Amino acid sequence: MKSINLKENQFIQFHQKISFKFDGVKYFGYKGDTIASALLRNNINLVGRSFKYHRPRGIYTCGIEEPNALVQIISEYSEPNTRATIKKIYEGMEIESQNRWPSLENDFGSINNLFSPIFTAGFYYKTFMGPHKKFWKNLYEPLIRRAAGLGKPPKDFKGISNHIHHNVDVTIIGGGLNGLLAAKSFINSNYDVLLIEFEEQLGGIINNSNKISLIDNKEPKDWLKETIQEIEESKNVKILKNTLVTTYNYINHLIAIEDRFVGYKPIEGKVNSTLHKIRTGHTILCNGHIERFLSFQNNDLPGIMLSSSFEKYMCRYGLAPSKEPVIFSNNSNSNSLVYSLIKAGLKPKAYVDSRSGEEIEPNLFDLIRKNDVPLYTNSQIKGAFGNKKIEKILVEDSSGALNEIKCDCLCLSGGINPDVHLFTQSKGLLDWDEKDLTYKPSKPFQPTITLGSASGQFNFDNLNSDVNEKLKTFKVKKLDVKLELNTNTKYNIEKLWEVSPQKKSLWAKSFIDLQNDVTTKDIRQAITEGFDRIEHLKRYTTNSMGTDQGKISSINALGIVSDLLDKKVNEVGTTIYRPPYAPLSFSAIAGRNCYEFYDPERKSPIHSWHLKNGAIFEDVGQWKRPWYFQINKDESMHDAVQRESINVRENAGILDGSTLGKIEIKGEDALEFMNLIYTNSFTKMKQGSARYALMLGEDGMVKDDGIICKISDQHFIATTTTGGAATVLGCMEEYAQTEWPNLKVFMNSITEQYATFNISGPKTREIMKKAFPNINFSNEEFPFMTFQFHEFNGIPIRILRASFTGELGYEIYIPSNSAPKIWDNIQSVGKEFGLAPYGTEAMHLLRAEKGYIIVGQDTDGSITPIDLGLSWMIGKSKKDFLGKRSLTRSDTIREDRKQLVGIIPSNKADKLEEGQHIILDKEIKSPVPMLGHITSCYYSSTLGHDFALAVIKNGHSMIGTKAYASTSSMSTTGVDIVKPVFYDEDNKRLVS
Amino acid sequence: MLIINCPYCGPRDQSEFSNGGEAHVKRPDGSKEIGDREWGEYVFIRANPKGLFYERWVHTHGCRKWFNCVRDTSTDEILVTYKLDEKKPNLNNFKSVVKTPSGEPEVGSGNFTVEK
Ligand SMILES: [Zn+2]
Repeated sequence: MKSINLKENQFIQFHQKISFKFDGVKYFGYKGDTIASALLRNNINLVGRSFKYHRPRGIYTCGIEEPNALVQIISEYSEPNTRATIKKIYEGMEIESQNRWPSLENDFGSINNLFSPIFTAGFYYKTFMGPHKKFWKNLYEPLIRRAAGLGKPPKDFKGISNHIHHNVDVTIIGGGLNGLLAAKSFINSNYDVLLIEFEEQLGGIINNSNKISLIDNKEPKDWLKETIQEIEESKNVKILKNTLVTTYNYINHLIAIEDRFVGYKPIEGKVNSTLHKIRTGHTILCNGHIERFLSFQNNDLPGIMLSSSFEKYMCRYGLAPSKEPVIFSNNSNSNSLVYSLIKAGLKPKAYVDSRSGEEIEPNLFDLIRKNDVPLYTNSQIKGAFGNKKIEKILVEDSSGALNEIKCDCLCLSGGINPDVHLFTQSKGLLDWDEKDLTYKPSKPFQPTITLGSASGQFNFDNLNSDVNEKLKTFKVKKLDVKLELNTNTKYNIEKLWEVSPQKKSLWAKSFIDLQNDVTTKDIRQAITEGFDRIEHLKRYTTNSMGTDQGKISSINALGIVSDLLDKKVNEVGTTIYRPPYAPLSFSAIAGRNCYEFYDPERKSPIHSWHLKNGAIFEDVGQWKRPWYFQINKDESMHDAVQRESINVRENAGILDGSTLGKIEIKGEDALEFMNLIYTNSFTKMKQGSARYALMLGEDGMVKDDGIICKISDQHFIATTTTGGAATVLGCMEEYAQTEWPNLKVFMNSITEQYATFNISGPKTREIMKKAFPNINFSNEEFPFMTFQFHEFNGIPIRILRASFTGELGYEIYIPSNSAPKIWDNIQSVGKEFGLAPYGTEAMHLLRAEKGYIIVGQDTDGSITPIDLGLSWMIGKSKKDFLGKRSLTRSDTIREDRKQLVGIIPSNKADKLEEGQHIILDKEIKSPVPMLGHITSCYYSSTLGHDFALAVIKNGHSMIGTKAYASTSSMSTTGVDIVKPVFYDEDNKRLVS
Repeated sequence: MLIINCPYCGPRDQSEFSNGGEAHVKRPDGSKEIGDREWGEYVFIRANPKGLFYERWVHTHGCRKWFNCVRDTSTDEILVTYKLDEKKPNLNNFKSVVKTPSGEPEVGSGNFTVEK
């Protein structure tokens, strides 16, 4: 295909050369060029290999509907599947073709084309289902995975996108003729209006074709300039350019993506796209129409292009992709291409029309005759032929004779469709127009208005009245625009979907979906095999399932199917067009919610100390908690955890418990409220005392636990698990508002306001005495499960005597700002007593030795307090609390419920594994009846062997018996079922 | 995505709210004898209609107040929001609302955009 540059073009700066690389070779284009127009200027038309058959493919269109020319932009984070027909070039751009190996010219995968009988409709399904499962795994799958596909995913995720929200009265989608007219009507009205245009320039058909000769007796481009200026100067209409509306959701919610670097290389670290989230009162769709192609043998050869795309290259890019293209049409939309070619001093090599001479518009006829263009009426193109590019076509003329025409370019027009994607996304109804042979919007489902060709108005006669009528619900100006056309014709089309081939061959194919390599033969085969419902057929053949959603071909497929089934197209129906209209990159959707902003990290006030002291962190919800502390780089996790736990048992340890949830509950009815929320009764509890409490769901299952401090009947402080803090507060608020609004009670999270240090171990009292010399820590003055408020160096603190390790222990609550000071102080006074920090892993081990549960580890939302052996915590005399009634449901009083027990290996040297099953038989013979599973499992240096907690069926009555634990190596270990407490069963150390 | 009109704060983005399931489900009085069936229905059974639905929402990232609304589950449109202590509106007031979009079948979700 030999292209030529046309003189003068307002959009292309011919004085500004731009160099870029395509598959490693350097080429030149001009400022304003897309990749496609620049490649065509360099007479390059082979730009990719097709999806399945690896057939050579060229540039088919000049816009977003492009099925073939998808490229990988190496210089832009290796962005794959970029449409060459819309992406603008810039200096130094690097582009690669896709889906070829080793090179575009010599592609190994094109051999697939000869294997095509195995790649037909339903190929994937049949091969999966077939008897040759090994064949699939060992041969087909690896082969196909390498061969089928589009671009390569980029290695890095570097694009930055911002999200912007809009709230407007009216959104006009499409800045073409009708969009501009609609926007013009709204100028200086009382409506907030957003006008969204996908391209860099407003104007649409005015820029893209020579259809219109005069608007209001002015040159179209002058009228355009004036109109744009008027709109830009208005106070109420905002224009977004380079912005594509991809999604039309319920309640008039639109998503649009704006390219911030059109014609420039995105600067690293700068926002390169903006995702607009638009809420609008009304949506006016002016997004125009899309031309469709026609199916015949080898309709995918490079050099074949849609006719309106050819014209757009001429008008918009000052480029004729070929000096003498052949035009093949069944409708009047391509008339203006003939006009444009002749106006540019070029001439079609031939004009082939399936319509009869009488149906062809007289002014087109005159134009063709006057310029001696060979005319074939009542004729069809039977096939296109050539090696990697079109070289000749075969035309069957009205007499049935075959004519071979040599050519380097073929322009196709199979008719036009309103661009109904957004309209159907909005759930609007379509109706088949038997005259114009296309689906047109009929009943909108939302406040949606369609104008111009987007509404199926393919003629310009009713331009003013249509806009005025459809906008009459708004208080806006009436339009009176006068239009004159160059090719004064009404839209006329003759039915033609597919031309049957002259003779069959293995290589020659007639495509219905270029991107997914679906042929018309596949459609026939699918129908023969019973897939005659259009949604089934789509999935079976993958027709219109590519990234282009079959924009130029899906209606053709419906036409072919309706003919094959002998039904009306309306009866066949249409598949749903789904958002996004065109691919949306993940980086645009993610916006700024990535990397450190993906999920916020929460850190305790002591975090920097932990960092300096060898802490290895674990994530608990959003919190970073020290998992264990490494005293040197060589210390393993196991060694560190054992060292920390022994130190707590022998000396003393300190844990940063600041992440524990803390909720303050106040109010006249706080006591009654707490009695309703937790299982325990707080009525008889003394002021200044604390209690371990359980919270259930209404289903009776344990949801959270914590320690409740009673300051008075009107004031409580509750702790929650680290992960459960927000849920517990939410639950309290919900019940306070929805179920017991009569109770006067308020609650607030104070988690981040207070740091918590848990100090425990036999030497704790000595350390506390030294750290807080004014406080009496004796058993009499400060008994177990009581708390006291104190002031230390002017800092208000609360000390609670409680323990999660089974040792003597205290929890100190300190305002977060002052916490590091007190932490440092405790570290220094504790040194002589062997005080060392310990992490969550040692804490888990210590509490498990003592048989204390962790909600969410030993419970899983199906465990009641009774299952845990914690019946003593249920305030049985209370009339009501969350989940009380559920504790006597038939299911919760079942005898064979899973209950918490302890597990130790019968042979102490044996290992246990978390998550393994407890079974009765030594031999694993399937089916294996399972009693339950191990929920927590550790090696204890204190005990000298492995031990575990488990939930097993009827566990409480099995204590004292033997069973087996499965192992990850598919064997079993003999275990003893014991009480779930392994250390200091009489709590002597706790109250020492 | 919706704009939800919090009865306390006014219209706000949906992302500030959390859904709380069916509204006007009364919790049985714990001080009285409650049958297994009555309690079971309160804990486990909720309506799931296609169409108008009384629903609870909470303004989680806002005033944290619970409120009720009428939502059309087939269009997601929230037709009215009201405070917990306000009387529930009569669903007949919202008759004009389309039950199913685009001629979909009344039950289940369809892919049909074309009216039969
Ligand atoms: Zn609110």
